[in-house]
Amino acid sequence: MLSEVYVGIDVGSVSTNIAAIGSDQKIVFTYYTRTNGQPLVAIKKGLYRLKDELGDDTTIAGVGTTGSGRQLAGVMVGADIVKNEITAHAVATTNIKPDVRTIFEIGGQDSKLILVKDGMVVDFAMNTVCAAGTGSFLDHQAERLGLPIDRFGEMALKSKTNVQIAGRCTVFAESDMIAKQQYGFSKADIIMGLCRALVRNFINNLGRGKMLQPPFVFQGGVAANTGIKAAFEEELKQTVTVPDYFDVMGAIGAAILAWEEVEQKGCSSFRGLDSLKTDFTPSSFICEGCANMCEVIKVEANEVTIAVWGDRCGKWKENIKQVKLKEII
Amino acid sequence: MKVSFPYMGPVTAYRKLFEQLGYEVIVPPRPTQRTVELGAKNSPEFACFPFKVLMGSYIEACELGAELIFSSGGHGPCRAGFYGEIHARNLKNLGYQAEVVIFDEPLYNWKGFYNNVKRLKGDNSFFRLLRATFLTYRVMSELDKCERLLHRISPYQRKAGSAEKAWLLIQKEYANVFNGKGLALARSKTEEIIKEIELSKVEERDRIKIGIIGEIYVVLEPSINMGIENILNDLGCETERSQYLSEWVDYMLIPGKGKKEKGIMAKAEKYIDIVIGGHAKQNIGHIIDFKERGFDGIVHLKPFACLPELVTESIIPEMSRVYDIPILTLSLDEQSGLTNNLTRIEAFVDLIRKKDRARHIS
Repeated sequence: MLSEVYVGIDVGSVSTNIAAIGSDQKIVFTYYTRTNGQPLVAIKKGLYRLKDELGDDTTIAGVGTTGSGRQLAGVMVGADIVKNEITAHAVATTNIKPDVRTIFEIGGQDSKLILVKDGMVVDFAMNTVCAAGTGSFLDHQAERLGLPIDRFGEMALKSKTNVQIAGRCTVFAESDMIAKQQYGFSKADIIMGLCRALVRNFINNLGRGKMLQPPFVFQGGVAANTGIKAAFEEELKQTVTVPDYFDVMGAIGAAILAWEEVEQKGCSSFRGLDSLKTDFTPSSFICEGCANMCEVIKVEANEVTIAVWGDRCGKWKENIKQVKLKEII
Repeated sequence: MKVSFPYMGPVTAYRKLFEQLGYEVIVPPRPTQRTVELGAKNSPEFACFPFKVLMGSYIEACELGAELIFSSGGHGPCRAGFYGEIHARNLKNLGYQAEVVIFDEPLYNWKGFYNNVKRLKGDNSFFRLLRATFLTYRVMSELDKCERLLHRISPYQRKAGSAEKAWLLIQKEYANVFNGKGLALARSKTEEIIKEIELSKVEERDRIKIGIIGEIYVVLEPSINMGIENILNDLGCETERSQYLSEWVDYMLIPGKGKKEKGIMAKAEKYIDIVIGGHAKQNIGHIIDFKERGFDGIVHLKPFACLPELVTESIIPEMSRVYDIPILTLSLDEQSGLTNNLTRIEAFVDLIRKKDRARHIS
């Protein structure tokens, strides 16, 4: 059966996620992998997997990218839309749970709080200068305790005593955890204490001065951690929902946005899976054309510059169009 | 005598003043990553971001041979009041001989102000000083006017970068102004340059206007605020700042011309009744002013560890609710990565657009 799918790619600091939705907006494919510092490789792997799983009858009718690596990913695949992850997450969540009011999203390097009203983002906050409460820190602690990260939550739920741990800063949290460990508290208690501390930090930091209203949805890689979910529910005294595809919500949002965009434009700018064989080499230089001294980032494919950003006056962007024209001729 | 000054906003205008007085002018390089690093390395760790950038700028000016640095000071509860002294001391410790002259508000210390003016005047007559100051002031006001206009039209430019290019050209025109005649010529050339920018027509209801408030240095100087106005313009939003240097000069130096600022301060009375340093009170007033003038959102720039703006930030959620206007606070520091803030800015613009559309539908 011939079918069309819309693909969303979320290139985050820690993980790269891909999701595909059919034209009926049903999710047909999801993929979650660690970026390991090489987003381009991760995207390629994911897209080949998509091709394998969905078969040759499926065509990609549109692509959207999001996450901190959205721009490069967008150039590489020829995305129809490149969107920030806050909007992408909100789009995905309101699609799955239209009455949602508060979204907690905790990823590898940052955490976000998104407030929604009538399906529209009305306010948001992102952690500012500190990694406390993000996936990377939990990863680090799991490693230190010799515990696989996927068992972190399960372990936390076994806790029986309440252990106080400072959540304001990772340095304090870690020294607190070590102190408590030397007093002989169980691993489970310490881990649950950490979960509570992170949630407290999240709500104090991001929720400062904001009204958090139910229904609550918790998503992002860290939502796999049942300990954090329990700590959220304890703190808010409300149920917190973790959606089925909590770890790829950004990618789902990007896929939905790509679908909307293609509906509007009528065609897709997707370069096709074959284009993935091309090597993309990003580089940067300082343009010394004027006092602005812009840091210009350019991406080359087969030694032809295909994208440039960072130049304020458009001097380098102009050149690209000419190259493209020549190619066509 | 080789003189220099802080790099803040329309440097073309400051340059004018010193040139007219016969000084050899050293324009400090536009702040780059190197400036910030130099500044951070040679500043107290807890000092705020503007202090560090200025420190870096002064060092770079000294490297180019500056012997005298003119700057403005502050008084009141904000730490900026000490900064000139600490900058001067740090430069001395680093082995630079440059002297730092700090202009405080005239009414605050008449005598000190007068002595500084005499220092600036040098061997020139008072008449010459006045003439140079007046010309500088006019250049500054006209450049400010152009910049304000460009950020209003650049979201609608047909060709990316044409407004930025125009701005570079306009600054060059004004750099060659030496008298009233030159000023008139620059003005007419500027009009032509602006006319050259091709614009697409956008309905009034589809326009998005964003006001920018915050600490004066980060509001005025694009090189250290990520070029916030350009970013917002590229996302299709018109921008206007709370601070333009010529307005600040109006308020500080020209009797009877600071009415606008006084009106803004009056609006803030309800939230902050005393001046707590920096521009905290003005910023609160500007939030209300922007809302009254039909702006769709506000971006608040706060240097990390800036006390007055921390106070503003804590009042913002309440004001955003009461005045029903989205406000985004961005914290600026040495960090050069833009990704994180770009995400916030884009999401903020998405939020405003959706809000706007919903309002038009209902």
